[in-house]
Amino acid sequence: MLRIDIPERSNWKALAHELGFHFHTIDGEPYWKEDAYYQFTMEQVERDIEAPTEAVHEMCMELVDKVCHSNALMQRLALPEHMWDSIHNSWKSGQPHLYGRMDFAYSGDGPAKLLELNYDTPTSLYEAGFFQWVWLEQAIAQGILPRHADQYNSIQEHLLNAMAHLGDRIEARTLYFSCIKENTEERATVHYLQDVAVQAGLKAPFIYMEDIGITTGAEHFVDLDNHAIHALFKLYPWEEMADDAFGEVIPQLNTHWFEPPWKAILSNKGILPLLWEYFEGHPNLLPAFFEDANSPPLPAGWVRKPFFSREGSNVELITPAGQREAVGGPYTDSPWIRQAYHPMPRFGNNHALIGSWVVGDRACGMGIREDVGRITKDSSCFVPHAIV
Amino acid sequence: MSKHDSTPHLPRRKRSGRLSLAMMGASAFGLTACGQPPQEEQITDIEFDQPRSFQSVEDCVAENVYTRSACEDAYEASLKEVPRYSTLEECEAENGEGACTAPTDEQSQAATGSTGGSWFMPAMMGYMVGSMMSNTNRGRSFERVYQEPVYRNRQNQGNWNTAANQATQRVTQRNDAMRSSVVQNRQAASQRSGFGSRSSARGGWGS
Repeated sequence: MLRIDIPERSNWKALAHELGFHFHTIDGEPYWKEDAYYQFTMEQVERDIEAPTEAVHEMCMELVDKVCHSNALMQRLALPEHMWDSIHNSWKSGQPHLYGRMDFAYSGDGPAKLLELNYDTPTSLYEAGFFQWVWLEQAIAQGILPRHADQYNSIQEHLLNAMAHLGDRIEARTLYFSCIKENTEERATVHYLQDVAVQAGLKAPFIYMEDIGITTGAEHFVDLDNHAIHALFKLYPWEEMADDAFGEVIPQLNTHWFEPPWKAILSNKGILPLLWEYFEGHPNLLPAFFEDANSPPLPAGWVRKPFFSREGSNVELITPAGQREAVGGPYTDSPWIRQAYHPMPRFGNNHALIGSWVVGDRACGMGIREDVGRITKDSSCFVPHAIV
Repeated sequence: MSKHDSTPHLPRRKRSGRLSLAMMGASAFGLTACGQPPQEEQITDIEFDQPRSFQSVEDCVAENVYTRSACEDAYEASLKEVPRYSTLEECEAENGEGACTAPTDEQSQAATGSTGGSWFMPAMMGYMVGSMMSNTNRGRSFERVYQEPVYRNRQNQGNWNTAANQATQRVTQRNDAMRSSVVQNRQAASQRSGFGSRSSARGGWGS
């Protein structure tokens, strides 16, 4: 695994605008960077990323099954009691899921270590699945990369297949898409998924989360015209939905959600100590434990994360050498876990994080984000990769 | 997805051969991976045919709709998804008496990659094959056969299609709960803003 400086495509910013990638620069700072790329060998991709991703995904599915059958485990994960039935039923009935992303620390050498799962509201999907692919094709065409260069990326193709599968199972082949108001990046990610859904033959109307309604006597949540929403994809996390005003109503209505309620088990960092408990010593896992009242102050060589957190918020770490790093944030109202510190590979000033995508039950591609700090945040840059 | 590269003379690729956007951005966009025959055209629409059910590969071939290799791929993919039971009793308990069988060596090979092991499965009641037809502005069409290989079979699970039916039994409970918990105002038939209330404080939810 190498970070290699290369020329940018001459026209990429115009192309980005043409292709709906309006957040390539965020608050004046570059988010998409193509003056370098990460280079992998085929063996590194297949042996160290793809195979472990599928293996960890299967372990996760096993754990979902265990948690669904145990109120004690539901409690340990701080899942709200009024959601237990929905979680259990959505799993038992086999409601399919769409996608997730695993974040790995990997340096090209030795096994990739799972840092966390983003299995409910993963983003950077458009960048990884589409724009990165276009970059590779054009970089080859413009002579920037050799003709035999390749990329670990069939994300969009797998999404298309998954959507076709879902389309056969939902009312009127209609899947609503939703996110909150006033967030450009999230709206773009959802727009991209709507695009893929349309390509897969679905109807894909959009509604803001805030505009979703309920009507007396209706069996589903409703849209602005009071039409039933039979199935809805939301880029909005389960732990929030459960706490929202409509949270209590969710179990009583028949709307199908994507991701399904059982994903609440995996979007919770409490899954990390459970993985370690059940699969202790697995080469792709890091030791992790629940923090409780008797836990000593954070020792050197450990990372502290809240159960529910997004974009690196409220993560705190102390390196084995005693360097402390922390990111502030709003997620102070949930329990915490501790995970053994594992150094992120450094390339110049950048720490690189591998995001390995799972669509349905298949590992199908990756995206790399880098940050000058050891904690990857929403300000981290996306840098493309190639297999050369 | 079939593992066969459409251009077998090329080394295997880890990336998709063709991607497009239907509506995002200024105009529809299509690109084909290098090393495939150049195609200037763009996809204009995609049609899904109704997936058909076949009893066997021979049935599927006889219909003269799909190529033999497409029929075989779909059959193999469907075998991988078939529920497996360690005993005949377990299988019959779930699928009915006489509805189960031990797999042949070929079926076992296709389902598990080996002929070893003793397990039982529902006698195949047929399998589905569908195709996705992409039409282009040059009047060409590409066909891609799809089955359901994106998802693995999980043996502990029911059929998702029945999930909606169980829910209807809860209508009465639900209506009572609706009346008591959320609908306060008899004038307003619909209520909104029940999701996303804390969003303005946090800005976004992606991870």
